[in-house]
Amino acid sequence: MRKVVITGVGVVSPVGSGVEMFWSNLTSGRSGIGPITLFDASAFPIRIAGEVKDFELESITEQFPNSNGCRDRKVFLALAAAQEAVTDAKLSDGDLHRALLHMGVGLEAIRLEDLTPYADSSDFGHSIVSSLIDDQTDRMLQTPLDCASNILGRRYGLLAGRYTNCSACAAGAQVVGEAWQMLREGLAQVALAGATDSMLNPLGLGGFSLLRVLSDENENPQQACRPFDASRKGTVLGEGAAFVVLETLENALARNACIYAELIGYGSSMDAYRVSDPDNTGRGAIQSMNNALWAAGLKADDIDCVNAHGTGTLKNDVVETAAIKESLGRHAYDIPVHAVKSMTGHMIAASGALEAVVAALTIRHEVVPPTINLETADDECDLDYVADGSREFVGETVLSNSFGFGGQNATLILRRYA
Amino acid sequence: MVKNVVITGVGLVTPLGRSPREVLGRVGRGEVATSIPSFDVASFACPFCAPVVSFDAEECFCENKNLRLMSRDAQMAVVAAHIAMEDAYVKADETYASEEIALYGSTGVSSLSVEEIARIIEYAAGSDGSLDLKRFGQVGLKRVRPVLSFRILANMPICFVSIFENIRGQNAVYAPWEGQGAQAIAAGIRAIRRGDVPCALVGSCDVKTSELSFINLQQLGVFESWELHGKGCIPGEGAAFLVLEDAEHANKRGKRAYAKITDYAICSTAGDSSLKDTFSSTISKLKTNSIEAVVAAGDGDMTISESEQQAFEEVGLEPCELLRPKLHLGNLFAAAAAVQVGLAAELAGRGESGRPVLADCFGYGSEQASFALEGICAK
Repeated sequence: MRKVVITGVGVVSPVGSGVEMFWSNLTSGRSGIGPITLFDASAFPIRIAGEVKDFELESITEQFPNSNGCRDRKVFLALAAAQEAVTDAKLSDGDLHRALLHMGVGLEAIRLEDLTPYADSSDFGHSIVSSLIDDQTDRMLQTPLDCASNILGRRYGLLAGRYTNCSACAAGAQVVGEAWQMLREGLAQVALAGATDSMLNPLGLGGFSLLRVLSDENENPQQACRPFDASRKGTVLGEGAAFVVLETLENALARNACIYAELIGYGSSMDAYRVSDPDNTGRGAIQSMNNALWAAGLKADDIDCVNAHGTGTLKNDVVETAAIKESLGRHAYDIPVHAVKSMTGHMIAASGALEAVVAALTIRHEVVPPTINLETADDECDLDYVADGSREFVGETVLSNSFGFGGQNATLILRRYA
Repeated sequence: MVKNVVITGVGLVTPLGRSPREVLGRVGRGEVATSIPSFDVASFACPFCAPVVSFDAEECFCENKNLRLMSRDAQMAVVAAHIAMEDAYVKADETYASEEIALYGSTGVSSLSVEEIARIIEYAAGSDGSLDLKRFGQVGLKRVRPVLSFRILANMPICFVSIFENIRGQNAVYAPWEGQGAQAIAAGIRAIRRGDVPCALVGSCDVKTSELSFINLQQLGVFESWELHGKGCIPGEGAAFLVLEDAEHANKRGKRAYAKITDYAICSTAGDSSLKDTFSSTISKLKTNSIEAVVAAGDGDMTISESEQQAFEEVGLEPCELLRPKLHLGNLFAAAAAVQVGLAAELAGRGESGRPVLADCFGYGSEQASFALEGICAK
């Protein structure tokens, strides 16, 4: 099996777009969460989120002309992050033509404003059809899930296979893991892997608020997401995109690429429990971590840091803590366990890819970003959550967890390349 | 040593039956599942659909409380998956540990009905028809059913399959076309070949018979052949799952396999190349010379049918038998790949020549795939 390394990264996130700004803000403990400005959420029960700020859509459409006409925000977030990763890796056209694309995406949003003009129609369906089809507009009722993948595929000539993964909150980690597996097997030398999501629209925010997993601390947005804290009240929605360029070590060395870290393990599992809640026993989460350890050929004691899924929901944080302890044993108490969602919010499908970038940067810069807003830990959350600001990363390996709505789990393990 | 992957179970929910034997029989008799949709089709270039008539998930899972959370495609997925598992005599935590069974699936776009959308929109519109977010936030949200998310998230059908079948192994969910359905099958094959798991449940579901699906398909140009030639693909619905096993494990437990998957190829459509070129390139990657039969991709769309035929000629493929099930079943889109491979498995299992059967998974979207299967003598 071939070794696989990360040679490029790209981020568009609520705490900063562009890897440099993102990392600076993240390690400074700056929250990206604030009042929602993308639409008027004043009558919604939840009015806060982690929005990507100062995002220049025009510059993206200029660079990706075939994105013209697309109205889905997450597509543009993806294009920006992917472009940064490709540029960062300094890939040649030849490398790109032989590259795989693994892309994680969230839900296809329906725009309510397209449909409200027909709310009073006696034949609602026919009215929608007339609106969207008979007048020959370019408006799509729903953006296809593979829209960003197709735009990137055409722009970069990616011909080795394009995968569109929709495994909810596990998608971002799964795309990195699946690409890793295919490179190890020799199916390609290079892969662009990443994910994007934005649920920050009326239907997306409304749907999540009905699930009662969001913090309603609208008056205190920057402190609203408090993973592992005893007073946590839920997660906060975020949006964004993150990409990594993965390469076989052989390919990276041959072209003298800059190596962030080596990806050495990936595991996934399913809870097979309930679509709405994590399994209280943490069985799926434990299995995911154990599968990644097995794939990496590591023991629990070899892990030096855990990038937790850490959503700030009542159930996740307790179950994840117990699962980390079960998987890593007593060693879990000796290593930092941090949750960047305290600053970014939950970027849903994109979160696992973003956290893979965080793990790579942790290794490269030897800094563990903090879990902010953690003042008094939950009695059942008794690990070292890096609550007192960033700290030096001492060690070689980082394990990153992503657990998805519906019961899909994924874990990545990265190691310093020496 | 590379492990051989065999198909030991096939479960279908299609407009023409629930097993490959039944579907092939009805296709052979020339049956066609086409009907006129219940909604007004005047604005659509395609006037037909291919529904699964009288589908009722409670036949399999009577009174399961999860059923009310599920969309139609998810219900079809759990039924097809259950049939496949029963067909293979595989039960999680009995035949294999639940963690040793991988689950790779694919789904189409969300299948909300116009009525469901109308309920959401009713309290989102202002008096002038514009979006009134204050009204939606204060009144409309309270009228949205909290279970909506479980019905529209694309991974949910596969998550429900994991719950119903108690499968906990490695997994991924892809979307939204037939090519991604093929990628899910390929992911299961690779997981077994790597030695990660001895067994994988792979498959897909899709419902394209609704009015909203028709809007999406028309907007995406899928009905273009209807506009140009007066014939084209007919959107169908259904689900299909395959149980894949390491041949050694299947032999050990005495399970007769339908067929062995000897090879597969997946190609992305390049911006400047024709469909014919992509199809040719996909088929020519398979290490097969002499073909017994092809389960072809042709679905009535002139471009796809002609491109596939030209691709056969270009690579010198002369199958004894050419089957075009989509002309009978409709196009099941995301679910089509597993149907194609399931039918090819049945044909390969019947074959006495020992020559492979191809299952073409060509169509809409960027990814095109083909699988080669060979029959296995009864053990």
